[in-house]
Formats: sequence, structure tokens, C-alpha cells
Amino acid sequence: MRQSNIPSGPGGCLLVAVGPSPHAEKLVRSAHRAATLAGASWVAVYVETSQRLSKTAQQLLDQALTLARELGGEVVIVHDADVAAALVRVAQERKAAQIIIGQPGRRCRLRWLRRRTLADYLLKITPNVELHVIPVDAPPASRLWLRFDSMARSDWREYALVFGVIAALTGGAMLLPKTYYVQVGLVYLLGINLLSLRVGRGPILTAGVLTALTWDYIFAQPYYHFSIEHWQDLVLFVIYLAVAMIASLLTARIRAQAHNERLRQERATALFQFSRGLAEAKTLAEAAAAAVRQIDETLGTQTTVAFADEGGHSLGPDFHGSYLPSEREKVAATRAFGDRRVAGRFTESEADCAGYYVPLVRDDHAFGVLGVKLPAGVKLSLGQRDLLDAFARQLALTVERTLLRAASERERMLAESEKLHRVLLDSVSHELRTPLAVITATSDELADVNVPGGAEMVAEIREAAQRLNHLVANLLDQTRLESGALRPHLDWCDPQDLVNAAVSAAADTLSGRALEIVVPERMPFVRADFALTEQVLVNLLLNAALHTPPNTPVSITAGIEPGGQRALFSVGDRGPGFPPDLREELFKKFARGHAAAPGGLGLGLSIVRGFIAAQGGEVSLGDNPGGGAKITLYLPHFAPENPPPE
Amino acid sequence: MTAGPKPRLLVIDDEVQILRLLCHALETDGFDVHAVKTGKQGLGEVAVIQPEAIILDLGLPDMDGLEVLRRLREWSQVPVLILTVRNAENDVIAALDTGADDYLTKPFRARELLARMRAILRRNRAASEPAVVRFGEIEVDLAGHLVRRSGEELHLSAKEYAVLRILVQHRGRVVTHRQILREVWGPNAELQTHYLRAYIAHLRNKLETNPRTPIHLKTESGIGYRLMED
Repeated sequence: MRQSNIPSGPGGCLLVAVGPSPHAEKLVRSAHRAATLAGASWVAVYVETSQRLSKTAQQLLDQALTLARELGGEVVIVHDADVAAALVRVAQERKAAQIIIGQPGRRCRLRWLRRRTLADYLLKITPNVELHVIPVDAPPASRLWLRFDSMARSDWREYALVFGVIAALTGGAMLLPKTYYVQVGLVYLLGINLLSLRVGRGPILTAGVLTALTWDYIFAQPYYHFSIEHWQDLVLFVIYLAVAMIASLLTARIRAQAHNERLRQERATALFQFSRGLAEAKTLAEAAAAAVRQIDETLGTQTTVAFADEGGHSLGPDFHGSYLPSEREKVAATRAFGDRRVAGRFTESEADCAGYYVPLVRDDHAFGVLGVKLPAGVKLSLGQRDLLDAFARQLALTVERTLLRAASERERMLAESEKLHRVLLDSVSHELRTPLAVITATSDELADVNVPGGAEMVAEIREAAQRLNHLVANLLDQTRLESGALRPHLDWCDPQDLVNAAVSAAADTLSGRALEIVVPERMPFVRADFALTEQVLVNLLLNAALHTPPNTPVSITAGIEPGGQRALFSVGDRGPGFPPDLREELFKKFARGHAAAPGGLGLGLSIVRGFIAAQGGEVSLGDNPGGGAKITLYLPHFAPENPPPE
Repeated sequence: MTAGPKPRLLVIDDEVQILRLLCHALETDGFDVHAVKTGKQGLGEVAVIQPEAIILDLGLPDMDGLEVLRRLREWSQVPVLILTVRNAENDVIAALDTGADDYLTKPFRARELLARMRAILRRNRAASEPAVVRFGEIEVDLAGHLVRRSGEELHLSAKEYAVLRILVQHRGRVVTHRQILREVWGPNAELQTHYLRAYIAHLRNKLETNPRTPIHLKTESGIGYRLMED
């Protein structure tokens, strides 16, 4: 057994025994420190015995256990008459390798007089567990004081009952002949045993002493005197006193155990009802309503529940429940959610609130907040807080399950709608393209036929087909963007290739114009979807051709931004430029500039922005230095690694 | 087309107009064209007429064109040209990986179709593969591992030559990125397209008259490369 200095052992669980003592907080802090050093989890255990706690003791215990929770420890409350056995049991369940307990310094030097301590018991039962005893100062109040304190807690009505019963028994017994004094003693004993079923430890001890004295004073010789004449009577008196005491104390213990048992039963029933209520709920709102109803019923409080918003990172604004929190209360609720620990009344943060807020936490993820409001002056007992904690965990589990179910449902719907879109796009695409393909190919054939003026007519057909084809492509692209079916396939692209592909696709429309192509020598590859980016550049070139006077020059430029963070492509013209007030408008579907030549649906820029945004880039409209418009695309850029040397 | 028996072609497409168009263009060019409208009929016909090449539309009413191709490749290596629409790069890549020889995007021009057709038919005559292939000013001597430009020998690194050799062997036909990467850098490099881009840029610098507007080493958007002879 070591005396202090908890070493940082290997991981595993650390267990600290907490009792209703002023040093409990110190123990909890030591355990927290040791567990943090060792990187282990820790459990604060309180063993509830049949002894009922005074208000002060209950408060000390509450504080210690609350602190343990706040420091991240798990709190376990077990019921057992044997503290050491209970500790060992919990230690085994949790596979704890170390137990920390506190022990007052010993003042008694005489070894044999010393009371056997908890540590001694623990060591006897479980030699395998590492036991750390933290020395603490002797408690300021003696054990005797604590006992009296607990006696004083019994109701005055219990004392009244005790006095009444004793008075009635004494009155009845005085009617009997004096020779029946032994039987009177037995009647008293019966009375005490019956009383012990109704009243607490204090009154029953009082009753034992009182009846013994009354018996001695009234019924034993000499009568009406506190002395005893015969030594047999003295034996009788002493034995009576002992039997009365033992019987009453045993009964009191059984009663306390029964009381604890009932509490446990109630707790289990409440939890069962709670989880059944939640299981029946199909939506979050139903779950909240079920939780509120159950908690109101069980704890006699007013209850409110709020869930995390869509993103899951902050608390939603809607509270459901039997009370609506004020702005002040919402601050506490939000803090509970953000810090993932209780807040509000009975805690250190926002203690002035009327409500007590428990976060709905699961796997370190907060799903919402559960709040209860009690009338002023009413406190939540440790057991009730424990129960509330359990409710919060249950509710968190339900919320998580509901959210997961909703997410998978959404995923399924999305997949189905995507599939539908794809089928639709494919068939529309096929239907529209086929006649175009026929026209294009046929006009090619016709070009070979020698008809006067035939070549011009064929050129007309071909241009019309191209325009129609471009239009169809744009409509389909727009649909693709809106259906969310666009999944860019990012790959390394040679910017020169991209520019060449775009220029050759737009070559017919651009014929007759001076085209300036600027791609820096040794420009690094860019990460982009080749087809989408090519389509974007084609759209920009065609737009430039459509919206500027014939025979004006068009330029296309590629480059890397200074700083190397973004690659850029720009298309400039010498046309009228963009009216500044219309720039944002132009990105909208079917929007067309004032100076737009007739023709075109106005889908071009909307698609450009959509395709570039899908690749993580941006589009900006600007003025071309020297007159005209310039549209620049920015794509995220990072340099590719070099191919392995040969 | 050269004299001799007309090469037999099988066209599988459900669009009557496209069928008529293809038949007209191909027959004018000297092919013997058989046409069917469904994948099932197509698979049946292949065994009967034993065509020298197949034109297959990927969008068929009865079964996926890819599925037709897959079943066909289980027992036949006949060259296949895929017809597809724009924005279907993934389908094209899948088809090329399944064993298609080339693709054509609708709308297409008749002369493009004929050029592709001639290129894929050449694959079947591997026995008569010339040892020296010429395009533009470039002469690639496959037997001697030599590359000349206007008669003057060019120095190519081993990997550059390996990439060029694949393109030359498939000249006129598309070769996917993956295909080249796998053959030159091994199966683990199938996604390292920037290796390939770098080597294509080197090759263009050495082989093209104007490397910035290449006319021989053509890029196929998002799919691969194609060596054009003229």
C-alpha cells in the first residue's frame, strides 16, 4: 500500500471512492490528475449504505460528484451495506487497476485500539488492485456528531408518535397487576418493534431508552424510583435495553434498504417508461414530447427540449416542452450545448437561472439540450440528477438514431432522383442529338455534290446545326447543374491542350476574327475536369463572338496567379463591355446583356459559373484593359509532383 | 477503299435515320454494311455474318451498349467503334477499357467516321504492320527503335519512345490515359496522368513543327491521346 503520490500507471480505468466528506473534492481532483497523467479513464464511486445522510453530508457528496462529472469522470452510485465489497465489485466490473481512497490521519498510537480502516478491508479482499490512500485531515465533525445529526433529521411527528404509543402502552400496563411487570416489558418490546416499522432510527432509539426507563421507574421495584432492587430485574433491564436497541436498529436498516430498493425500482421503472415512450416516437418532435411528458411526471418539474440545428454545430432556436425558456435561460442552454456539460441552476455557470440544463451527448457529439425548471427552493437530489442524466443519454441515443435514419432516407431519395435525372438526361440527350447528327453528317455529304451555290447552302445548314447543337448542349448542361448530377472528374490537364480544344471547338463561329492565344511557356498542369473546363472556355469564346461586332479581336489567356495559389483562364474581347450594374445579373439563367445580339438563351454564363464552382473555382467579370469585356476563371492550383526520373 | 472483296461491317443502332446515314456513307466508301436495331440481334448477327468491324451505339433500347460489348469480347476480338453523345467521357472510357477500339461523338461528320473506320480496320491486319511509320516529317522505325525528323535522327528517352510507340501502334485510334500509363509506368501508375502529360509535352516539343498547336499528337478531352497521320 502506498501512502500518496499516485504514479502514472499504464492506461486502464482508475476508480476513486467518494463519500459525504469535506475531503471528497480533494480526492476527486487527485483522481482526475492521476487519470489525466496516465491517459486513463476514471470513475467516481459512491457506495450508498443504509445510513441516511444529513443535509450537510448530502450537499458535500453532491458537490463532489458534480465536480467529478465536470472533470470528465464517470459517476457510479451503488447500493450496498458493505462499502469495501461494493468498491471491489465495481473495480472488477470496470477492470480498474487502481483504487483511490481517502483516509484521515491516525491520532491513536495504540495499534490494537485503532479501528480497522477501509483500506485494510480493501487490501484483505483484493490484493491485486493497486490501492492509493490519500491522507486527509481528520473530519472537522466527529462521527458521533454526524450520527446525532442524522437522528435529528427525523420528523417531529415520528417523535410524537413514539411518545403517544409509549404513553398509551404505559397507561394500559398500569391497569395490570404489578406482578405482570415482565409481561409489560414484552409488551413494550412489541410496541418498539412495531414502531420501528414506521419511524426512523432516532425516534426508535429514543423509544428504546424511554421505555426502559419507564419500565424501571413505574413497573420494577422499587416503584416510582430509578433504582433497581433485585439483581434479576437489573439483568432483565439490561437485556431488555439491548434487545430493544438491536431489534429497532435492525428493522431500521431493513427499512432503509427497502427504501433504497424502492427508489431503485422507481428509477428503473421511470427509465423503462422513458425509453418505451421514446421508442414509440417516429420524429424528433414526438421524441421530445414523450421525453417532456415522462420527465414532468417522474420528477414533478417543468421540462423543455431543444435540438441541434441542421448543421449540428449550434443549438436550434425552437424549444419544445412544458415551459419556454427566457433569453437568459437560453444562454445557459446554449452553454450546456456548446460545452457539452450541465449548466444553469445548481452549477457554476449561469447558476442564477431557474432551469437546469443537461446536454444530449453521445460520442462527444451534442444533439441538443434537456432543461428542467423546478419551483424556487426545491433542489434536485443526487438521485434525481442521476436519473435526469440517464434520461438525457437515452434521448441523445434516440435523436442520433432518428437523424441517422433520416440521413439514410435522404441519401436513398437523392440517389433515386439522380438516377431518374440521369435516365431522363440520357434519353433527352439521345433524342435531341440524333436528328442533329443526321443533319450534320448529311450536310457533309451534300458538300461533295456539285450544285451551283450548293456549298453556301450547305455551310448555312451546317452553321444552323452547330448553333442548335450548342443550344441543346447548354440546355442539357443547365439541367445537369440543377439536378445536382454534376460530378467533376478532376485530373491533371495541360492548359495548352484545354485552350486548343476550346479554340478548335469554337473555330467556325470565330472565323474572320483575330484570335490572340496566350499560354505561358512551361505553364504547370492544372487540376481540373477537362471536359467541363473546355465547355466553359467554349461558352466564353462563343459569348464573345455573339456579343461583339464582327471582325473585332478576341483573346484567350491562361496563367498562374502571382502567389501560385490559383490558375486562371480569361477570355477578353473589344466589344461594348459589361454594364457594371448588370454584372451579377448576368450570371442568372436566361439573363442577357443590353447589347446582346439577338440569339442565345442567356444560359452561357450561368453554366460557366456552375461548372467552375463545381470544381472549386470562381468566375469574375471585368473590363479588358484597352476596352471591352474580360471574363476570368480561377481554379485552385497546386503544382503536380514530377514524374519519376528514368 | 482498295479493290477486292468489300469489307463487311455490322452497325448496331436503333435510330433509323442514323442507320440510313451510316449505311449511305459507308457503302459509298466501299463497305458491305449490315444493320440491326437491337443489342440481341447484333450479338446474333456477329456470329452469322462475321463482320470485319462493328459500329455500336451505346444507347440501345434493349440492353446497355457496354453489356453488348462485354458479351461480344467474351468470344470475339472483332474491332468495335462506339457511337456516343457528348458529356459521356466516363462511358467512353469504360467502353474503351472493355475492349472497344475507338469512339465517335454524335453529331459527327461523315469523313471523321470513315477515317476512324479505316484506322480500326488496320488493327486486323497486324501481320502486314509496316516496320516504319511516317507522319508529317516524322519517321518512326519500330524495328530499329529509331525516330527521325526529315531524315535526321532525334534523341528520345526510353519512356518517351515507349509512349510514342504505343501511339504509333494505335495510330488513328484513341488510346486512353490508363492504357498508356499501365504499359509504360506499370499498373500502380494508372492514375498518375501528370506523368503522361509531361511526356506528351516533351514529345510534342520534339516532334511537332508547332508544339503549341499540335497536329499529330492530339488530345482527346478527358479520355486520352490520338496520333493523327495527316
